[in-house]
Amino acid sequence: MDRRVYVLGRDSAPQYLRLEAGEELSMTLVIPPGLSGREVLEVDLNGPGASLDLSGVYVCAADERVDLRVLVRHAAPGCHSRQLFKGIVGGTASVAFDGLIYVARDAQKTQAYQENHTLLLSESARVESRPQLEIYADDVQCSHGATAGYLNPDELFYLRSRGIPEAEARRLQMIAFLAPVLSRLPEELIEEIHAGLS
Amino acid sequence: MNNDVLLDIRNLHAGVEDKQILKGVDLQVRRGEVHAVMGPNGAGKSTLGGVLSGRPTFTVTEGSVTFDGRDLLTLSPEERSWAGLFMSFQYPVEIPGVSITNFMKAAVGARRKALGQPELSPAEFLKLLKEKMGMLKMKGEFARREVNVGFSGGEKKRNEIFQMAMLEPTLSILDETDSGLDVDALRIVAEGVNRLRTPQTAAIVITHYQRLLEYIVPDVVHILKDGRIVRTGGRELVDLIEKEGYESIDG
Repeated sequence: MDRRVYVLGRDSAPQYLRLEAGEELSMTLVIPPGLSGREVLEVDLNGPGASLDLSGVYVCAADERVDLRVLVRHAAPGCHSRQLFKGIVGGTASVAFDGLIYVARDAQKTQAYQENHTLLLSESARVESRPQLEIYADDVQCSHGATAGYLNPDELFYLRSRGIPEAEARRLQMIAFLAPVLSRLPEELIEEIHAGLS
Repeated sequence: MNNDVLLDIRNLHAGVEDKQILKGVDLQVRRGEVHAVMGPNGAGKSTLGGVLSGRPTFTVTEGSVTFDGRDLLTLSPEERSWAGLFMSFQYPVEIPGVSITNFMKAAVGARRKALGQPELSPAEFLKLLKEKMGMLKMKGEFARREVNVGFSGGEKKRNEIFQMAMLEPTLSILDETDSGLDVDALRIVAEGVNRLRTPQTAAIVITHYQRLLEYIVPDVVHILKDGRIVRTGGRELVDLIEKEGYESIDG
């Protein structure tokens, strides 16, 4: 499978992609700490059996403004798309996530999933998540979900009760939260993101 | 001899928000002793464990707790751990994304740093990990698993005792460690606890049932009812509860 990683502000990421019959793509977008901006991505699943595994991670711990817009269009039957976007928002940063899954009338047997989860570190951090489904076929499996929450206090207490200082315990929780997306990245990039968490 | 008192709880009152749960608990634990705190549901057993380990949900309104000569109630949860206190949770928390190895590396590392001990080399840490896992009959893959994620009730409790073995506490509090355990798991857990017993250390076993106390034999038994210790005695108290229930003991 084609695996691509784009660090926004550093790599030039595509804004439009088209997958033909049977093509498989795994793609991960990284929004590193300190970066503000808008990222728009459209993917067309244009041939039967195409498959997209799309992930994204954002770490906005200060005053960043990030606007993410993702459109995945299922135009052909039997295509799969799976999206997982996770991020941490702290300080006075604000993130907007717009995710639309469009399933055309002919795209029967579509499987399309989208998840967006955000960990908020402060009262003034903001996230607006707008997952949307627009479905014109009748034999499909589609779902989307979005959550936003704070660090789990029971986890934090458990870690501290084992002697892990509060700041380090929080950091461990953040690393754990991002792990499903970070595991797709090369080691040095993982370390760079870990270092940006505090 | 007062200096071998490891834990000294005096007139402890504590609760959540406006609800008083502990209403004047007195309890002294000496080095080398195992104490059982037994009581019916709602007596305040888990509150006692929570207050001792520093769970932020509980507020102490009166009384004092001295641990190894220090005022325990002023210490943060991590400082209590460094001071040698360990609590085995009734409901161990799942931490997705954190492996047992990384969890223990962070815990052991922080403790050694706080105590001014040199850092363990990766090889030394691995040796320690394997030794303690062996003691609790845990398989190699265990170290790579995420903390408590997908663990059975027995595995979670065994993991608690494993952490206890790794951290070598002076005082261990086992909060309802027997709940959810089958006989085999119970035996492994009890064996682990018994092997960690030394003349310098002590344990408090908090439990509703006498079952665990067949394997971890207490020196002193306390009955906690409605936030107070209403009776203190030896092992015969366990048999009395078994025969006649908590009703028979007046508060």
